[in-house]
Amino acid sequence: MLKDDDRFQPSTPNSPLFPLIGAALLAALALAGLPWKEGLFRRPRTLFDRSAARAVAPGYALVAAAVPLIPAGATVVVRTEPRDPEAETFYHRFADALLPGRRALPASFYGRFAPPEVSRDAQYVLIVGARPIEPPGRLLLETPDGTIWQASPRGPDSR
Amino acid sequence: MSGLLWLGSLLLVGLAGIPLAFHPAFARFPFSTRIVLAAASGAALVSFVMTAAVLLAIPWSVPWLVAAAAALGAALRLLLRAPARVGVPPARESSGRLLLLSAGVLSAAAVAAALAATVAGAATSPDLLFFWGPKAQQFAFARSFDASFMRDELHHHMHAYYPPLVTNLGAFASMTAGRMSWTGATLTFPLLLGALAIGLPGMLSDGPGRARAAAIAALTISAIAYLGIEADIAGNGEMPLLLFETLAIALLLSDSASDGPTQLLAGIFLAGAASAKVEGLPFAISAAGLFFAARPSAARPFGPTAARLLFPMVAMLAAWFAFGATRRIFFGYSGYGRFLDLYPDHLRAVLSAVSRSLWTTGHTLPWLVPLVCVLLALPLSRRWILPVGIAAVLTAFFLFTYLHRAEDPSLWISWSASRIFSPVAMLLAVAASLGKPAAARP
Repeated sequence: MLKDDDRFQPSTPNSPLFPLIGAALLAALALAGLPWKEGLFRRPRTLFDRSAARAVAPGYALVAAAVPLIPAGATVVVRTEPRDPEAETFYHRFADALLPGRRALPASFYGRFAPPEVSRDAQYVLIVGARPIEPPGRLLLETPDGTIWQASPRGPDSR
Repeated sequence: MSGLLWLGSLLLVGLAGIPLAFHPAFARFPFSTRIVLAAASGAALVSFVMTAAVLLAIPWSVPWLVAAAAALGAALRLLLRAPARVGVPPARESSGRLLLLSAGVLSAAAVAAALAATVAGAATSPDLLFFWGPKAQQFAFARSFDASFMRDELHHHMHAYYPPLVTNLGAFASMTAGRMSWTGATLTFPLLLGALAIGLPGMLSDGPGRARAAAIAALTISAIAYLGIEADIAGNGEMPLLLFETLAIALLLSDSASDGPTQLLAGIFLAGAASAKVEGLPFAISAAGLFFAARPSAARPFGPTAARLLFPMVAMLAAWFAFGATRRIFFGYSGYGRFLDLYPDHLRAVLSAVSRSLWTTGHTLPWLVPLVCVLLALPLSRRWILPVGIAAVLTAFFLFTYLHRAEDPSLWISWSASRIFSPVAMLLAVAASLGKPAAARP
């Protein structure tokens, strides 16, 4: 018959030592792994500045900067310069998150370029990276992370 | 400031857990532990009430949700009878004060490291921005699950079928604070880790003694902190999952696990885990099942015990899947193929990628250090079956899942394995508390 065989008795006095040493090692490594040399106590610009995903920080910063410029109900697309479908996939998701009430259209989806017609009618264009040679419309804001544009109205023949 | 308001509003869910956590059956726990139990059980109850409200077409409002969840907690309390031996707080040990103090300092240091990493933007999970946060934000706007938002093909990456607890609590905090706070969401990592650091020592101390319990708690907290910083879990579902799982396991390993109230509270935490992330379901099922093997005396009579451990989870997930099915959004959890369509030729690549992922997360030390502590504690009492058995089931489940993809799963594993294997580190740390006392050794 099955039985519990395990009513606890007080352990030997030194028994907490091993887990305590383990805890000390892991806590020390956690503290040592902090980004001390990157200005730990300096306020970060974005949530990703010192994380493993720091490469997406410029896109996050640009989308966050667009919040006051893009009205509710507008459509928006985020591209990169030069084009990078992986990064554009991430930034489309950032736009979904940081621009609630607007409609984010994907320039890329799941790491692949989306067909141009998906985002052709976006009213606002965010470009992470260098300023494009051909401006997509009226420049609203330029930051070190990229540019924010109000797209030019499209003529009937361009559809 | 808005981040702190968002975060602070989560404390309201603790009100809903007070009727249960302050039942006389839990008088043996220190006040600090009961506060943590109230907060965690309240979070699970509020999430359930939010899901049920959507099914009943009742728009969410914060006071109503807290009141309804508290009423549910009070109703559950009426079902509970205090055990014959109402708990007495464990006697204070005169010796070991230095050990207790050291354990407390180490836990505090680990939580401080998690807080510093989060505030510095060094631990943020992209998943917060990809799906947890946007869904929570949209649901707060809609004061319900927004079915059209979930159906939108441009939101396919938000995994509509993912269980609702994390997004429910994010929506709850957003409604209370008036807006979503991304910073506040990341701070749930140190907040919940801190809650665990406060609550766990008191839950473990009825077994191995206060000093060893504090040391085991410090080991658990340090492992989660280090792993969480290395794997960037701030703002995603990992920390809520780990909170529920750890509390449930601590209750099921306790000397009072034969009591109905303890089993019901453990069942609510297992439900919380299953409602937090998909992998919480195999955890909860294996925990309930292995409890009967690890604690056969405590599990008798089997029927009522099974009901207390499983009914909360069945109710919470039934409400969620009823929503998905009635709105024709989802009918179950999605996978990468049919259930038994496996690619066994990928096994070598999967094992290699998992090893690489765990190695890049602190050189595997968050798992190895607790494992060494388990080995040093040998021989273990029979209760080891519970944490070690769950760890084995989870490992098998994750490998099974990774073998489902037709394409090379290495990239997928590289960004997911260290996070999803985090409960294994916690389980090993808790298992290290189960060494037999010297007098019982052959």
